[in-house]
Amino acid sequence: MPDKPLVIDGLTFKYKTRPELALDNVSLELKQGELLLIAGSSGCGKTTLARCINGLIPRSYRGERSGKVLLHGREVADLQIPEMAQVVGTLLQDPERQIVASNVFNEIAFGPENLGLPRQEIVSRVNQALKRLNLEYLRERETFNLSGGEKQKVALAGVLAMNPSILLLDEPLASLDPASAHEALEVFRSLADEGKTVILVEHRVEDAISAKPDRMLYMEEGKVKYLGGIQSLPKEIDHTKVKLPAPWVVQRVKALDVITEEPPRPRTKEQGEPLVIFEDVSFQYDTDLPFILKDVNLKIYPGDLIAVLGPNGAGKSTLVKHAIGLLKPTRGRILIEGQDTRKMSVAQIAHVLGYVFQSPTHMLYAPTVQEELEFGPKNLEYDPLLIPKFVDESLSTVNLNGFAEYPPLGLSFGQQKRTTIAAVLAMRSKILIMDEPTAGQDFANYTHFMNTLCDVSEDAQSILSANFSATLFITHDLDLAVTYANSVLLFGDKHIVADGTPEDVLKDEELLLNYRVRPTSLLHLNLSLTAKTGRFLPAESLAAYVS
Amino acid sequence: MLVTWKYRPRKTFIQSLDPRTRLIFFFAVILGLTIPEIWDYRIIFPLFALSLTLYFLARIEWKDVKRVWPYIFVLLFFIVGLNGLLSGRGGPSSVTNLPSPVVFTVPFKIPFTDIGWDVPITISKMWFAITQMLRMLTMAILAIPIPYTMDPNIYGTAFRQLGASDKFSFTMDLAFRFLPTFARDFSITMDAQRARGYEMEKLKGGITSRLRRLAPLIIPVVMQSTVTGEEVVDAMDLRAFGATQRTWVKADLRYGPRDYFMLGLAATIFIGCCVLKWGFGIGEYFVPEFFLNLFS
Repeated sequence: MPDKPLVIDGLTFKYKTRPELALDNVSLELKQGELLLIAGSSGCGKTTLARCINGLIPRSYRGERSGKVLLHGREVADLQIPEMAQVVGTLLQDPERQIVASNVFNEIAFGPENLGLPRQEIVSRVNQALKRLNLEYLRERETFNLSGGEKQKVALAGVLAMNPSILLLDEPLASLDPASAHEALEVFRSLADEGKTVILVEHRVEDAISAKPDRMLYMEEGKVKYLGGIQSLPKEIDHTKVKLPAPWVVQRVKALDVITEEPPRPRTKEQGEPLVIFEDVSFQYDTDLPFILKDVNLKIYPGDLIAVLGPNGAGKSTLVKHAIGLLKPTRGRILIEGQDTRKMSVAQIAHVLGYVFQSPTHMLYAPTVQEELEFGPKNLEYDPLLIPKFVDESLSTVNLNGFAEYPPLGLSFGQQKRTTIAAVLAMRSKILIMDEPTAGQDFANYTHFMNTLCDVSEDAQSILSANFSATLFITHDLDLAVTYANSVLLFGDKHIVADGTPEDVLKDEELLLNYRVRPTSLLHLNLSLTAKTGRFLPAESLAAYVS
Repeated sequence: MLVTWKYRPRKTFIQSLDPRTRLIFFFAVILGLTIPEIWDYRIIFPLFALSLTLYFLARIEWKDVKRVWPYIFVLLFFIVGLNGLLSGRGGPSSVTNLPSPVVFTVPFKIPFTDIGWDVPITISKMWFAITQMLRMLTMAILAIPIPYTMDPNIYGTAFRQLGASDKFSFTMDLAFRFLPTFARDFSITMDAQRARGYEMEKLKGGITSRLRRLAPLIIPVVMQSTVTGEEVVDAMDLRAFGATQRTWVKADLRYGPRDYFMLGLAATIFIGCCVLKWGFGIGEYFVPEFFLNLFS
């Protein structure tokens, strides 16, 4: 028993502020060098379990806890902070939340410094961690200037420098582009192979599986629903709740004899005047700083459902900020319905373009969700009699019915994100722009609202499809582009490198890899079946074409 | 995540100094002016000239600080200066107690009525406003270069090697980075709300109503700051901060000859101000002859 890195026995926890159990009788044992994948939808208890393992429960989060959490045979609650930190190294979901120092060397040295280690030992540990993750080139860089992938690796290096025997990784892929996520997963696997016990909490199951986890723990409503090898996953786990690799979904759909309707063919692009035109747009923040955008040409037409793909830091968000007038081009011009954005205020543009920002906490302020959603339409001076209707429809689209009177800042991150999307939907702009709409969302929830939003077939009855002429979303999730878009923009090297239908752009695997977009099993399956299907389809619908 | 100020390494006299020297010099001037309550322009002006020299020696590019100076001038002229001019408060009692000729009066009255009062602007109040602005400006131009010319990686180390505790030193490190982080959050929130049709220019109504209309900006920024604070605490806990006496790995700050010169100057300024004021009674507020003559 004492040599086991982690033993959890009958763990139950209820937060002081919530009536329901966050964890209900969870039991688990981990061996040295084992990689465990923990998955489940939002609110299933994954994060609470992680907090019980790293000691934030009971130290930072109050509530009623029963059962045992033993680290190398010692109860977590009895361990002192320095002992704890040397046993469990925690990598948080968002590296921005983890990084405390202003440069890379200081960040990695921060933990060993706190342990009071001799200076030479600290420098040696920092160098080892940098070398282990191939980060030597970042050694003296400022942390806030790093890309998302680099930040995540630096945060991991900071954890490794503490030399913990258990690594607890809480949704570490959330802010990474697909190629960076893949590189991170390879590192996690190799750390397990070197003898670390690795706990990977992740709802991107398809991606996580590439780290070859030894076992998977699947949770629902605080309870363990499945604990075992990943071979049995297709049988055990509902593919509508957790995103599984496409061949597994097909296998499951066939085995269960699920009848799935083929989604309607996406609305084709309308001919006519473009809504937005980028003409040779270049942008730099200052004359002595490099260009972020260079010679970008783009037209958005009514009926467009555009997915913007590309690596972290490529300039995708900068592109969108130009469209909504928050940034003005250094060279070239942008026309919104024929008018130059230089001559329009952001509020005027907001009538045409609604933009959902990436981070909900930068936007939410109202005492209730209802008031939050009314804010935009009121600013745009819409008819007060129509606003409640817009609000109700938007809430329904993002699956937040019944939350109208809740304070938005009291909701979970996923719910907050959906509130921000609903707030922009309620503005009824002609074009909806979303920056990473699925970040922090579980699969079931984002599938629901993406289905509702993107149901823009010719015969769709969706109120949203009737109100939005075009939709554009920035995403790292290639499957969103495969499933929902009728046009894909691949962005890289400060300009658009490919623009066309998903079938045309995504078939060039080499091009995708050059721009750090990693083909998924759904893309591969679709490409292998395009001769039969004639277009890209979701995994469930492909089952009918697989013999 | 906390961001840092726009620091650039430069080969300048200022950046060749040990950061501790610069902090000590800064506090020596501030304390020299405030503890013995120096209001004599003959002492303040040389200190102002010295601060200005140091400011130019820092060779900060205008584009880096062009957004800071308007705030400083608004603060100086409209808050410090105007307050001094109208009330004569915030300084020695002699500004308002001693008889001084009234140059003009400012009527504070409800329009079209006789309700209100006339505020006399005396020569003494005018000189006091000038002195007060000069005093504040002396401190401000010493402070402005610090974040732009001090390596953010050694904020904490500098305080630790000045003898502060680990917690205080790291708190100062975080505090230095709070303002640019706050500015970044404010900018993102502003963009997010403008994208929802919010226009600050359209704020209408009285003060209460205007403040209420600022809620979409203020609440997310305050919430973000709170969340950032909590996240930083969790991140520090998870890496054992405060568990034991920490090692500061970048603790190799060394004083050089320039530092000793500046530290000597700092000591001279502080001790000199105290001795002049308490030893010789020099430093009290008075209106110089040349200023009085301007209105005679």
